[in-house]
Parts: sequence; C-alpha cells; structure tokens
Amino acid sequence: MPSPAVCLDRVSRRFGSVVAVRNASLDLVRGRIHGLIGENGAGKSTLLGLIGGMHPPDAGRVLIDGEPLVPATPAHASRRGVGFVHQHFMLVDAFTGIENVMLGAEPVDSLHRLDFAAARRQAEKAMNDLGARVDLDALVAELGVGERQTLEILRVLVRGASIILLDEPTAVLTPAQADRLFAAVRRMADAGACVVVVTHRLREVLDHCDDVTVMRRGKVVMTCTVAETNAPALTRAIMGAEPPPPVERPADPGMHGSALALSHVSVAGTGTARTALHDVSFVVPPGRIVGIAGIEGNGQTELVRAIAGLLPVDSGEILVHGQPVTRLGVGPRRLSGLIVVHADRHRDGLMLDASVFDNLVLGERGGRHQRALVQRRMNRFGIVPSDPALPARALSGGNQQKLVTARALDRPVRAVVLSQPTRGVDLGAARAIHGAICAAASAGAGVLVVSADLAELRALCHEVFVIARGRLVASYPPDTPEEVFGRAMLGGSVVAGGVG
Amino acid sequence: MTRTIGQRAAGLLPPWTAVAAAILVLNLLSWSFGQAPAATLSTAIAGSWGTMYGVGQVLFKATPLLFAGIAVDVALRAGMFNIGVEGQMAVGSVVAAVVATVVPVALPAPVAISIVLLTAAVAGAIWAAIPAVMRVLLGAHEVITTIMLNRIADALIAMLITSALALPGTVRTADMPANTLLPRLQVWIHGFVGSAASVAFPLAVVVLVTVHAWLKLTRSGRETVWVGLNADACAAEGVPVGWRRWMALTLSGAVAGLAASGTVMGYKGYYEMGLGAGAGFGGIAVAFLGRGHPVGLLLAALLFGTLAQAGLAINAQVPREAMGVLEAVVIIATALATAWSPAPASRTTGAPEAEP
Amino acid sequence: MSRLFTLTMVAETLRIAVPYACAAVAGVWSERAGIVHIALEGVLLVSAFGAASMTIATGSPVAGIVAGMVTGVAFSLLHGTLAARYRVDAIVSGIALNLLAASGTRFLLRALYDSSSNSPSYSAFRIGPTGASGAALLARALLDPVTILALLAVAATPLVLGRTRFGLRVRACGENPVAAASAGVPVVRVRLTALAVSGAIGALGGVHLTFDQHRFESGMSGGRGFIALAAVIVAGWRAWHAVLACLVFAALEATQILLQNQKVLPHEFVQMLPYVATVVILGFAAGRARAPAGLGKHAS
Repeated sequence: MPSPAVCLDRVSRRFGSVVAVRNASLDLVRGRIHGLIGENGAGKSTLLGLIGGMHPPDAGRVLIDGEPLVPATPAHASRRGVGFVHQHFMLVDAFTGIENVMLGAEPVDSLHRLDFAAARRQAEKAMNDLGARVDLDALVAELGVGERQTLEILRVLVRGASIILLDEPTAVLTPAQADRLFAAVRRMADAGACVVVVTHRLREVLDHCDDVTVMRRGKVVMTCTVAETNAPALTRAIMGAEPPPPVERPADPGMHGSALALSHVSVAGTGTARTALHDVSFVVPPGRIVGIAGIEGNGQTELVRAIAGLLPVDSGEILVHGQPVTRLGVGPRRLSGLIVVHADRHRDGLMLDASVFDNLVLGERGGRHQRALVQRRMNRFGIVPSDPALPARALSGGNQQKLVTARALDRPVRAVVLSQPTRGVDLGAARAIHGAICAAASAGAGVLVVSADLAELRALCHEVFVIARGRLVASYPPDTPEEVFGRAMLGGSVVAGGVG
Repeated sequence: MTRTIGQRAAGLLPPWTAVAAAILVLNLLSWSFGQAPAATLSTAIAGSWGTMYGVGQVLFKATPLLFAGIAVDVALRAGMFNIGVEGQMAVGSVVAAVVATVVPVALPAPVAISIVLLTAAVAGAIWAAIPAVMRVLLGAHEVITTIMLNRIADALIAMLITSALALPGTVRTADMPANTLLPRLQVWIHGFVGSAASVAFPLAVVVLVTVHAWLKLTRSGRETVWVGLNADACAAEGVPVGWRRWMALTLSGAVAGLAASGTVMGYKGYYEMGLGAGAGFGGIAVAFLGRGHPVGLLLAALLFGTLAQAGLAINAQVPREAMGVLEAVVIIATALATAWSPAPASRTTGAPEAEP
Repeated sequence: MSRLFTLTMVAETLRIAVPYACAAVAGVWSERAGIVHIALEGVLLVSAFGAASMTIATGSPVAGIVAGMVTGVAFSLLHGTLAARYRVDAIVSGIALNLLAASGTRFLLRALYDSSSNSPSYSAFRIGPTGASGAALLARALLDPVTILALLAVAATPLVLGRTRFGLRVRACGENPVAAASAGVPVVRVRLTALAVSGAIGALGGVHLTFDQHRFESGMSGGRGFIALAAVIVAGWRAWHAVLACLVFAALEATQILLQNQKVLPHEFVQMLPYVATVVILGFAAGRARAPAGLGKHAS
C-alpha cells in the first residue's frame, strides 16, 4: 500500500460558533481520483481548504507526504506540491492568461525583468500534459468559464503540483465540458498525481472517481472505493436518512394571461463587464413556474437586473400584468406587483451588519405593525436563530436565503423572479424555499426561476428555457433529458475552448 | 445573544484608547513647552472644570465641535465623507452675519434669531449640495470635491470681505443688531459670568437629539443608515439610494452651517475671516470618537472642548497646532482600536458562504 | 500673449509641474497596489519640512533631499501600515495623516524656528546659468537635481510596473488581492513596499517645493496633493497620463502667473481657479470607472 500523499488526522475547524469540520480523518494516495461528496454545508470545502493551507486546523494534524503542513499558508502548501483549483476562480481579470499563470512564481531573466518566454514554455508543457489549450495572451476578463478553469489548472501544474484539489469544478460547465475535464483529470492521476474532487453530484463520483468519501454535518461518515458502493447507499450516507419527498409542483394552469412578459428586450454589453441580451422574449402566465437554465455568465445577471429595473434596456418592453414598466424605476415596479430576489444575497439582498429585523423590513413603505410583520416572516419560513435583533451576518447561508425569500414572498405579488434561489443552501432550507415558490404560484403569481441547478428547475418548473450568450435558445418541458439541455447550453455558449 | 460584560468593555476600547492617547499627547506637548507633566493634569482640570467660568469656556469651545461632529456623523451614516465642514461653516456664518444686518431691528429676538439661524443652515446646505449632486449624479468622489470647495469658499469669502463687506481697515463684517444675537448662558446661570458660553450649546444638543431621533425612528432616517450599510441591497429593494445620499450630505451641510453660531451670534456678534478654522477636522475626530452614538458624540465634543480649554490653562501659548496634532492622534487611535476590537456581531460566523 | 509661447513659459510649466507630477505618481504607486491615498498633501508637506529643516541644520541640500525622502517614506509607510496591515479605512487614515502633517509641521515650525508661518531661508542648489532669460530659466530647471530625479522616477514607473516581478505583484494586489494571496503573493508586504516607493517619489515633490522657495512655509503644499489625486483619477491610474494632466494644469498655472499684472480679475478669483478647475474636471471624469478593481479591498 503506497504511503498516503495526504493524511488528515482527526482534524477539526470552526468559524466563529459554527463547527465546519468535526474530528475528520482521511488518507489520500497518489494515482487515484478521490471524490469528496456531501450536501451544501457538510464541510467539504473547508476540508479541502485544510489540505490546501487556506486555514489551519483547530485540532488534529494535516500531513503532506508524512510531514505536517506547518505553517498552514497557501504559499507553503504550494511549495509542498499542493495545487488548489478554486470554485470561484482566483484569477486577476485585468491580466492576461500568461500573467495569471506566472503570478507568484514568476521566472525572471538576468536583468530582473519578467521572462515571458520561459513562462510561456512552462505553460505550453502544462497544456500538453493536460490535453487542453487556452489563449495565453487574451485578457482573462474576455475568457469563458471553461478557459478560466483551464488557466487555474495550468497555474497549479506549472508549479509542479502533485496533489491537485478541485473544488466543485463542474458547477459552471456543461455536461460535455465536464466530461472533458474528467478526462484531463484522469490523465493527471495516471501520471501519478493525487487528485481530490469536491462535488455534490452523485453521477460524477460514480462515473469518474476511484474512491469516495461522504461528509455530513462536518463529519466523515463513509470512505470506500466507488466499486464497493452504489447510488442509493451514497444517497443514504449523504442525507443520513431517507431523503425527504420532493416538493409538489402545482398543477400547470396553461398559457392564459400574462403576469410577466418580456418583448424583444435587448441590452448592450460592455465586452468584459457585461454580457449583452439579444431580443429576449417570453411570457410567464399567472400561476405558472417558468425556469431559465444556463451556465452562469450567459446573461442571467443582466436579465434579472433588467427586469428588476436596475439595468436600463436599450430596446424592447417589460410588462407586468400587461402594463409596461420598462421606463419605471425599481420602486414603481414593486408597486405594480413585481418582486425580484437576486442571486448574490450578500451584495443585493442583505445588510450583513444590520439586524434581522431591519433586513426583513427593508423596502417596506409603511411604518406600522413592523414587529408583527417581522414575526410572521420569521415564523412562516422557520428562520433561526429566532432573535430578530441579531445581525444578519450571524445567520447561516440557508437562513439568510430564507430571509430574503421571506421578505420577497410575504406580500401579494403578481410576478416573482428568483435568481439562484437555493445556491449554497442546505437541503432543509432549500425545501422550504421551493415550498414557498410553489405556494406563490398556487396563489396566482407568475414565477420565473433563473438557476444553474438543472435538477432544481426540472423539479419545480412547468417549462424551462435555456439561455446562452444572451439569447433564449430553446424551451423544453421539464422532463426532457439533461443531455438535451446540455447541448442547448453549449450550442450558443460564451466560449467553446478550454477543458470544456 | 446579548453581549457579555467583556464584550461591552471591548466595544468601548476605542474611546478609552483615544482618551488615553489624547491625554498622553497633551502631556508630551505641554512638557515640550516646559511644563512638568505631574503638574499638568491638575492645572488642566482646575483650569477647565474647576471653575464655572472654566466650564463655560469648555461649553463654548465644545459647541462648534459638537455641530461639526453631528454634521460629519450624519453624512458618514450614509457612507459619505464630508470633509467640507469648514467651508460650509464659513459660508453659513458669513451669510448669517450679512442677513442679520438687514433684519428689522423691531422684530422680537426669537424670530430674528430663528431667521438668521435658518439662513445659516440653508447656506451651509447649499454649499454641501454641490458636491452631493456631483457625487450622486456624476460619481465624483466627495472627499476631493468638498476639500476643493473649502478652498473655494475661503477665496470667495476673502473676495467678498475685502471688496464689499468689511469694515474699513478690518477683516470683519459689521456688528449684528442686538435682536439677532444669542443670549449668553450667564443670563440664566449666574456662575457662567464672563464666559462666552451661550444658548448655542443647548441648541447644539437639541440638534443632536433631533438628528438622531430622525435617524433612528423615521423611515427616511433608517433608510439613510441602511444605504450606508449596503447600498446595493437597498437599491434592489427600491430604496431611493441617490436621494438618501444627497439628503444626508446636504443635511450635514445644514448642520455645519450652524457650527459657528456660538462664536458669531453668541460671542463676537460679527463674522471675522478665519473664524472657526480647525473645526472641520475637529468634527471628524468627534464623529469617529463618538462612534455614531449621540451620547458618544456629546462626550467627545466635551472632551475636545476640555482639551482646548485645558491647553490654554496649562500654557497660554499652546498653539492651535497642538490641538490639530491631538485630533489626528485621536482619530488614528480610535480607528486602530476599532479595527482591533471586534464589533459585537461582525466576527460571529465568518464561515465561507454556506459551502463548508 | 506672445509671452506665453516662450521658453520662459516652458521653464515655468516644468518648475510648477514637478510637485504635482511627483504627488500624482506617488498616488499611482499606492492606488495601483490597492491602497486609497488621499494623504498625498501630507506627504508633500512633511517631506518639504524634513528637507528644509535638514538643509537649514547642515547647510547641505543633498542631506536635505535625503531627509525629505526619509520623511516621505516614513509617512507613507505609516499610512500603509494603518490601511493595509491594520485594515483601518484608508480614507480615515488619509484624513488623519493630512491633519497630522498640517498641524505637525506648523507645530514644529513654531518649536524649532519660533514662527507661525516661515522657516528661515536657506540656499539650495544653484546649478546652471544665471539670468532671467527664458533659456536660462529652462536650463536651470532642467539641471536641477531634484527635477532630474523626479523625471527619472516618473519615467521608470510604468517600466517597473509593467515589466518586473515586483510590478506584476503590485498590480495583482491592486486588481484582486484575494487572487494574489492565493497565488502566494505576500499582499501586505507588497503593498507596504509599494507605499515606500510612493513615499520616496512623493517626497521629491515636497523637496522641490521647498527648494524652490528656499524656505518652508506653513501650508505650502496648497492643495496640490488633492489636485494630483484628481489627475490620477482623470488619467485612469496611468502614470504618464497623470503626469500629462499635471503638465496641463501647470501650464494653466504658469499662464496665470505670467499674466499676473492684469487688473481685470481680482487676484483671489484667479487663485481660486485651480480648485474650480479640479471640481469641474472631476465632474467629467465619469466616476471611478477604471479604478483598480481591488482598490480598498484586502486579501481575506
């Protein structure tokens, strides 16, 4: 048995009062792909962070090739051969690809100038090893998601990493791109690397990994080879019990009437900062749940902001219940019955340093009966802890999302738009939010859900559009197979390069 | 989750640090002028809070600092840095002094005074509205524009004074009629006789309470604070962010316009060039030391007023520059202590976004 | 009007531009590294005072330059330590340091030289042809050691930022400090070094200010630090563009001086013009659209 490349010995790590990893032990060997799976909030990313030197363990030891990782810094872990490919890419948008790959380990010539030629040679070799190419002279801001991920991996390889950690690498890839990524990962493992992939997708683990570890609530609950296990066993380990029944989608009311409609809406892009929207049209009738699927970065943010009134449209109309709101600001649109829950709850949803109370009443125009209103919202959605004087920062991600959803849905609405409604949210909170979405539709609101989670959309919606490169390229019933969706996403996707 | 005693004490660390730093620096400065440190503290206390006259002087010196502190604080709540208090104060005072001379002498004092105060506030508000509009509509950062407007105000006022307003051979305006002057506190409290303390100080306290009641109890005030906490979230929920920011900075200017009322209307009875210099940065020090709490602001203003008066008591030559150094040290010490002492809840979770 | 397009004009523009340009490049170094720097005014003042007092004490202008630069570096490092290491809001730090510089220099002026406005005079460099002709003025301006150092620093800045390892890391810290940290770049250390460079270059501006007047005057920076910051913003945080903006500004000021004897406009009005111009220009600079993306952010 080869000695493990990485050994985690009863490690624990907490953040404030939240224990993210509890007494976890794990051995990882070279030449194999190790999957780390669990639901949101289980501790996977923290565990990976411990191996990568992002934070030191509060208890226990992290051993790389038998030696403790001390000091626990990313730079030191990198020197010991650990390469971390982050979920949210750690790239400098304003730099070119080659500058990003070089950063932190820059080759210099005799005059102490940056030696771009040497860096390029290193990058070329890494691209050959990986089996993927990317334009090193393009600005990162202009690259697509797949190419950015390639750069992240190149950076890691160029430093000679032999322990490669990938954190949710396929979250932003089409199914085809994901397959290509795993092919490249297999090549790295065959060349002797120890590869760890964090994911919450069972399919990936079963199809591509050699070993699997399941985490639940910070603990390692199961470790075995993939050959020894199957999907139901893994699901039980992830959930801890029978999974709760999925939320019931309300009956399809058909295409009668229009709660929210977009008619030939176009928004100019700014190349790097903003994707353009081209001639987007669709109708959400009252009582219907319509989904928009797509890889992030294909115009979803711009679409949601345009509907909300935060981004002016260049042409076309937005209508709420048949009335045009295109020239109106955010406030008047809300008054006409439209409410939007944005994707980034920390930027566009919450005042983290304000109390839960203040966050729940943000945007309310009346000043009376606020205490009752806050109690009602907290109770309906089961927001914990139950003290409204606490700052919003003290809540978990799931409770924070419940807060913004409660604020949005606790009113008579005609049209609701929710963007990434359960991102980074634990299963219980996700169920509560899905339940609220269905209840809103049953009460007659037209609901638009924009999500990168295809499974969520297929469970909730009556109809799912696909957005790619700022256009709605297809529309399918929810039970359409995933591959069909994947092809549509890729067909107009922002970039066709990189690993994907 | 209520705060423990330990957490409360830690939250007060910044003010205590600042006070300690201020006392230390004052000692050092006085020592450099040849005063023994040991004697300094007792002289300081005796000269400031030791007599009613001293107390009166402390209140007099604290008045512009309190107004300035309220002004800086209210802008800061909305995330705006008002460095232009000095210019707004000057503009407000000049306009008040000029308007006072045209107010009919027969008007009863409360009416005349109200008119003059209102004019001062409006003038200061207008001077702050310019950078406010530039920030909200054009995105020009108000730190630079307010500072530039300070210098423009200096130049404009100098031009006006030398060309039109000054009494010949002086750099001051004509005397204001009696019915526009703020009565001294000595009228009611005999102990204050001889000191320059006037109704301006209680007026400042009233403004303090009013502004903070507005911030805490009204929707527009609370929204102003929320805009300072997260303007993006407010915009997404339909809160009029630009409007709230503009209002905060303009209101700040209005309060700043009143800052010299104690000196112009309560003491000298005219406007003189250079009046109130230094109150702008003093207000910043007060606002940071007070940490947004009305009682904190009041105590901070009294602290600096005490230091100014005590400085004089120690050595009549302790120059205004020493006060400037003191204020800078207080701001830095407070900012450092704030960065070190965890705010009550901001460090609680800090977990990576629910993806551990 | 023909007076305007002469060598005298060029010489005056160059002379006036040096403090602005040094402060602007100092601002570029700091802000490209991610630290907001509104205390450029303070840098100019303290380094001017350091240079003046050392020259008065030792009689050596070279010692004055060194003292000025040391003072400027120390002052800027203080700002960097507060903002980058202790995470104090850089604007708060800048305000406090400006106040400290203004009051501190006046205080020392009183303590050392018993004056509330000026230090004693001293003689600095006297290199180049004497005489008041345009050519002589220009020659003296170009041969001035401080001006030469400043020109070198300004010219070298984009080369260092763009072609060296240090420059790449500085820019990375300014664009995305989290990414830089994950790549192993010691963000705080790089930022502090950038601020030291910033302080040295800004100090040259302060030294030039005082050497030009042969004494230290209270408040002699006169708002140049803020105008330089406005130039940086308008120039999109690019060093040579910012210097160009400073040259334009200096040309305007030179024009004002050369037309000094006209009686049409009151002299306070003319003095006010640079500040009005700054406000107007900032209004058109369309906000901080192209600021370094990591300005004001930290590594974790």
